[in-house]
Amino acid sequence: MSAELPHRRRGAGTDDRAGATGPADGAKTDGTAVGVVPPETVPQVDLDTELDADLATDKPWLVIVWNDPINLMSYVTFVLQKLFGYPKDKATALMLDVHHKGRAVVSSGTRERAELDVYRLHEHGLWATMEQST
Amino acid sequence: MSSPIRRRRDGRYVVRLDPNARIVLADLALQLPEAITSRDPMVRRLFPPAYPTAELAGAEREYRELVDTALVNHHTQSLEVLVATAQADTLSEAEFHAWLDAIGSLRLVLGTRLDVHEDMEAPDPGDPAAAEYGLFVFLGELQYLMVEVLADDLPDEGRPEGDL
Repeated sequence: MSAELPHRRRGAGTDDRAGATGPADGAKTDGTAVGVVPPETVPQVDLDTELDADLATDKPWLVIVWNDPINLMSYVTFVLQKLFGYPKDKATALMLDVHHKGRAVVSSGTRERAELDVYRLHEHGLWATMEQST
Repeated sequence: MSSPIRRRRDGRYVVRLDPNARIVLADLALQLPEAITSRDPMVRRLFPPAYPTAELAGAEREYRELVDTALVNHHTQSLEVLVATAQADTLSEAEFHAWLDAIGSLRLVLGTRLDVHEDMEAPDPGDPAAAEYGLFVFLGELQYLMVEVLADDLPDEGRPEGDL
């Protein structure tokens, strides 16, 4: 099964280039250390930095499957059993939630975990998205 | 009547299909990879957003960069397996799963093109969409029977958490 998410180069421990030829952790390529300038004193907001800070909170991410008129009910149940190892009862209940309520949370966890789950659901043709728990 | 699809004791899958149905399957599966690689709007349903809201457009862009090549390869490889084995009487487990994936992709694309919705009535026989709708229904029946066979092999009580 091809469940491997292509390698994400983000954050410590996931960058296999770190320490080889790239700059050391905590240093930008221009030589300034990260964190020397407090973010609030920087006049121009870097949207990416702001987004990453938003995404970095430790609230869990929820993986959501949405109702779609094409996938068969039995197929959705089967995929939830296959991917998450859920008992048939639980997978069926989730599928019925998707069908009747329009969506259901099928898993939750770290952002990386949620992205992998979304990717595996996309491989199986399900309409899955992720959002951070509020 | 017994199902035309079953798992044999040696682990191979028997698929009894009409020769014409096999030709149709191979033909459909042959056309789709080009639509996928050229990003025909009709294949959009194969690439749903992970982050659907405007606030997370940056995260969505990153997700697309990260997975799109793999997702394209995954779907096109399954379609290639279906083309290559469309005439086979029995399939290995990997081939059977590739068929399921490819047939799912074909249904998503045909369903998008037909604008399929819940409780949809079949088009009238004279409707230009009738033939395509017939294919959509055929693929659904095939997918249903394949899922039935595969679901039989999954434990009702599930697997221990983390055993993926």
